[in-house]
Amino acid sequence: MTAEIKYGDIVLEAHGITKRYPGLVANDKIDFEIRAGEIHAILGENGAGKTTLMSILFGLVRPDEGEIHVFGKRVNFRSPLDAIELGIGMVHQSRKLISAHSVLENILLGHPQAGSILDLKKAAEEVGHLCDRYGYKLDLNAKVWHLSEGEKQMVEILKALYRGARILIMDEPTSALAPPETKKLLKTIQIMTRDELAIVPFITHKLPIVLSVSQRVTVLRRGKVVARLNTADATEQKLAVEMVGREVLFDLERAAVEQGKPILQVENLSAHDEKGIHSVKDISFSVHEGEIFGIAGVSGNGQQTLAEVLAGLRKAAGGRVLLDRLDVTQTSSLDRWKKGIGYIPSEQRAVGSIGDFSLVENMLMSYYYDDTFSKWGFIDFQKTRRFTEELIAEYGVATPNADVNAKNLSGGNLQKLILARVLSRKPRLVIANLPTQGLDVGAMEFVQNKLLEARKSGAGVLLISEDLDEVMALSDRIAPIYEGEFMGILPGETADRETVGALMAGIQQKAVEQ
Amino acid sequence: MKLAGYTLKFEKKENFTGVEAAVISVLAILFALFLVGFIFLQAGVDPAMGYYEIFSYAFLNPFGLPLTINRAIFLLLCTCAFIVPMRAGLWNIGMAGQLYLGALSAFAVAFAFGARSGAELPAGVVLPLMVLGSAVGGAVAGAIPGLLKGKFNTNEIVVTMMLNFIMFWLVSHMIKEGGPFMGSGGEGEGYRLPASLQPQPNLGVPFTFWFAIGLTVLLHVLFAKTRIGYQIRAFGLNPAAARYAGVSPFKISLLVFIIGGLIAGLAGYHYFGTVPGLFKIPKNYGDFGDLAFYGIICGLISQGNPLAAIPLAFLFGGLTSGGRFVQGKLQLGFGIDYAMLGVLMIILVAFQFFFRYRIVLKNNKER
Repeated sequence: MTAEIKYGDIVLEAHGITKRYPGLVANDKIDFEIRAGEIHAILGENGAGKTTLMSILFGLVRPDEGEIHVFGKRVNFRSPLDAIELGIGMVHQSRKLISAHSVLENILLGHPQAGSILDLKKAAEEVGHLCDRYGYKLDLNAKVWHLSEGEKQMVEILKALYRGARILIMDEPTSALAPPETKKLLKTIQIMTRDELAIVPFITHKLPIVLSVSQRVTVLRRGKVVARLNTADATEQKLAVEMVGREVLFDLERAAVEQGKPILQVENLSAHDEKGIHSVKDISFSVHEGEIFGIAGVSGNGQQTLAEVLAGLRKAAGGRVLLDRLDVTQTSSLDRWKKGIGYIPSEQRAVGSIGDFSLVENMLMSYYYDDTFSKWGFIDFQKTRRFTEELIAEYGVATPNADVNAKNLSGGNLQKLILARVLSRKPRLVIANLPTQGLDVGAMEFVQNKLLEARKSGAGVLLISEDLDEVMALSDRIAPIYEGEFMGILPGETADRETVGALMAGIQQKAVEQ
Repeated sequence: MKLAGYTLKFEKKENFTGVEAAVISVLAILFALFLVGFIFLQAGVDPAMGYYEIFSYAFLNPFGLPLTINRAIFLLLCTCAFIVPMRAGLWNIGMAGQLYLGALSAFAVAFAFGARSGAELPAGVVLPLMVLGSAVGGAVAGAIPGLLKGKFNTNEIVVTMMLNFIMFWLVSHMIKEGGPFMGSGGEGEGYRLPASLQPQPNLGVPFTFWFAIGLTVLLHVLFAKTRIGYQIRAFGLNPAAARYAGVSPFKISLLVFIIGGLIAGLAGYHYFGTVPGLFKIPKNYGDFGDLAFYGIICGLISQGNPLAAIPLAFLFGGLTSGGRFVQGKLQLGFGIDYAMLGVLMIILVAFQFFFRYRIVLKNNKER
């Protein structure tokens, strides 16, 4: 239907795409275009709006505002089916295949020509041609559950191509792949764009990949396009700074604080994430009284696993964790709360709060286990309510009253509540995992000041953040993390943005220990 | 939806009060009875007369009322046995098995004192031990799925359900001909408790009534006021957040199933130990299983609120006794009592939509 495309023609255009979710603008007036024959990378940290944008282009999500033109025609996708009709295919981050069916059956599933009677022979021939063209070696009769991650992805790509996709959207295509598979995938993508004029925008936050294959890059941050570059003009440092940087910088009062003895000592810690991937590798560091220790990194580099292991929610595979010189490696999370670890998780709603509980009951999450508000196993809800109301006032949580359910709070207010709950216990060590992610500027500043207050009062703070500015502004020492390893530990006073950015992007050798 | 110049819209409500829930439930019951009225009409019976017969037998008749109360106690205990794990987000489908083991334990206690020979025993000693035995037996049956869930994260629905069959055959083994608890009457019945171990109802109310009501109130206090109740609720609403807050999934899973099993065990004592004083398995296992399973339905309708389960248990208890009675008296077709219960349950659940949504009617001209 669209035979007359020449290299460099604009094939997909988006104007002013806006998508709002409660308390969040996921896409804010995004303009964006894709040309024939180019690999267009969309870069951005988690929550920057990449996936929302791609879901809009594929018809999974309808934008609140904005227009999309495909091959010069204005379109209005009601469902992915409309997008597929126009030659747009999508390879999702998580596989969407039926594992008990064969490769061929999966490719045929949903194909318009696969009516009530399947002509498997003809289809096998056609898919076979596609395989030959891209050098795929796939047994079309193999069951999908036998395949490796990379092979499953091939099946998804083939499926999209066999349905006639000319624009292929790939969301984090390399996230589940082993290095050789990644290499193969990138090669395929290059062949596709060169020979077939297929167009591949793909989304990722891995910088080296972006530079190695794409022609153009669009960088998103907080739902907005912050940079549009030809890859030839980009350097990794530049991209890293664009991706995590922030325009608004505050004057945070970071008073000089006398550092005391070590509170947290981590020795050769290793751990696996929930997929069994070895995501924390032999990490050692310590956090002292009155110190903010910042871990800077793009998410997915093991920070989450590290935070969970330190909070007692995940088992360590090796190494030791000492709290006030006491070995707590094997103890439960409850024990660590009692010993003075306060964990602020990155997932406010899924982990940090209970949506169907009132604010009073949410406050109890950090207090039910001791006698602050209870006696003989009975909870004094009146006392808890008064305490909650005081904290709501002190932390400026915007809510009609303390009986509101937590799910009705906005992200910023919920984070203030979680912060109030954790910090009011006066923990020895605060583990703050992405504490300002998704917050507006005001709430962000508030949270940062609270962490500084905790530091001033003599607590140790372990700050995990993707926001380079935040880490630079708050931390006494900075450890850039990449693929589960610290790339060095730099003093906050002298560390410069470019070095930290480069280290966390994994493009500079480990810094010399200072 | 547009209707004759008006727009009908459903608006989501954030919260609902207990009074609202009660009013909506009563409306649901009335609506369900209205619908069932058509079944009566179809059978050639005046619905008003049908309902009069049902309710007067169930709640006023000197024969019907004790039956209603007995069923209500059993239902209430089964409901509580379901509610406790439900509040932790877990499904107890094994009340039948738990109450079988509970009843078996109670009879084992009496057996140990020599009750099978028919000798009269000191009730002040043996009766409390029987009740205790039923609680322990039920708790053990409950601990199995709880332990498996907490330790290995097995599917508690499958485990509890399968245990029902195991317990059923265990009971069969004990009371069949030649089994240790065999009765003199013959097949399918255990030995009869001596008269001294059959507690006489007081004003038509067996003492288990007070047990059931007391337990229900206790559960209410447990959930509303205590640390343990708080942890159970937190785990039920958001297991990840509860784990983050230090709640042990293992302890909670085990605890709720032990409590649930314990209550089901008491239901077993009530069913076999107080009223017939005879341990028997009905010819049709389904009859009995159904009644225990009504506990699930009552639990779901009451949305885990033990106090709301009390009127529900009486309603369903009354309708099962009155429905069966009216079926015989008015010579209605088979299954009308079940049809009535079915419609009632579906309508009650359907009306819970209005706990969360309100209907808004807007005149289009006003806009």
